[in-house]
Amino acid sequence: MDVIIIMCAGILVSKIFFPIKWKRINELLQLICTLLLIFSMGVILGSREDFLDTITTLGSQSILFFLIPAVFSVIAVYPLTKIFLNDKKGKGKDEN
Amino acid sequence: MVYLALIALIGGIACGMAGLDDTLPVEMIVSHKDLILYALMFLVGISIGLNRGIIKKIKEYHIRIFVIPAGIIAGSLAGGIVSGLLTGLPLNESTAIASGLGWYSLSGVAIGNLAGAQAGSIAFLSNLLREIFSFFSIPLIAEKLNYPTCIAPAGATSEDTTLPMMIRYTDGETVVLSVFNGVICSAAVPFLISFCYNLF
Repeated sequence: MDVIIIMCAGILVSKIFFPIKWKRINELLQLICTLLLIFSMGVILGSREDFLDTITTLGSQSILFFLIPAVFSVIAVYPLTKIFLNDKKGKGKDEN
Repeated sequence: MVYLALIALIGGIACGMAGLDDTLPVEMIVSHKDLILYALMFLVGISIGLNRGIIKKIKEYHIRIFVIPAGIIAGSLAGGIVSGLLTGLPLNESTAIASGLGWYSLSGVAIGNLAGAQAGSIAFLSNLLREIFSFFSIPLIAEKLNYPTCIAPAGATSEDTTLPMMIRYTDGETVVLSVFNGVICSAAVPFLISFCYNLF
């Protein structure tokens, strides 16, 4: 919930005061925050004592339990988005 | 971006395994990750605000905004049933594990308490792998399928950890849908785990 409130605050700030010429700086700061978040996720995982043990002993079952539900979710959601939502697709922003 | 994300993830795991998580810069980053997420969300809000007309578009979705979380939950539970049949795990455990929707910290602990350490470990690892898989499947899905479908593998993580990839590879409208989906899925996870474990 707090995430939504903060995002709304950002929307408000952009409506009241945010020069369009700072858009590029905003994107760069987003990239830095993103990489820091991914890095911290990696640190949390790597610092778990049983991280490697868990991966080696229960790896194959865990692969099935992540892959099948994730793929089935895509299979379920894709036709729903085609029917009910805007069907936008494109190349990643990096390529645009 | 994918390569940078991969380098950041592997670098983080290496730091954690090498015991560098106690050093000042790393500890600063990890202990302030909530603040970093808040900063990111604020910046995302600015991006959305700069993109005129998004909020109007979201309002136009009305009840249709629920189709993505509904599809994710239905697909994940169906996937849990199939995974259970393939691995021989009881249906209540397999559907409960799939009900984590990528929220590995909560599902690992919750299922560990309900079904024991082994099921808890599978829940932790499978949901963690789902999150990592989401990270790297988002660019591909955005290119081959469509933007809203990028939210599907992310599940409950679409409002936080996988949001940066959504911001990078989709558009402002999909980012708002992604946050909404994350809130709904996150709220549903504890209920789904308990429901599936007791029902099947």
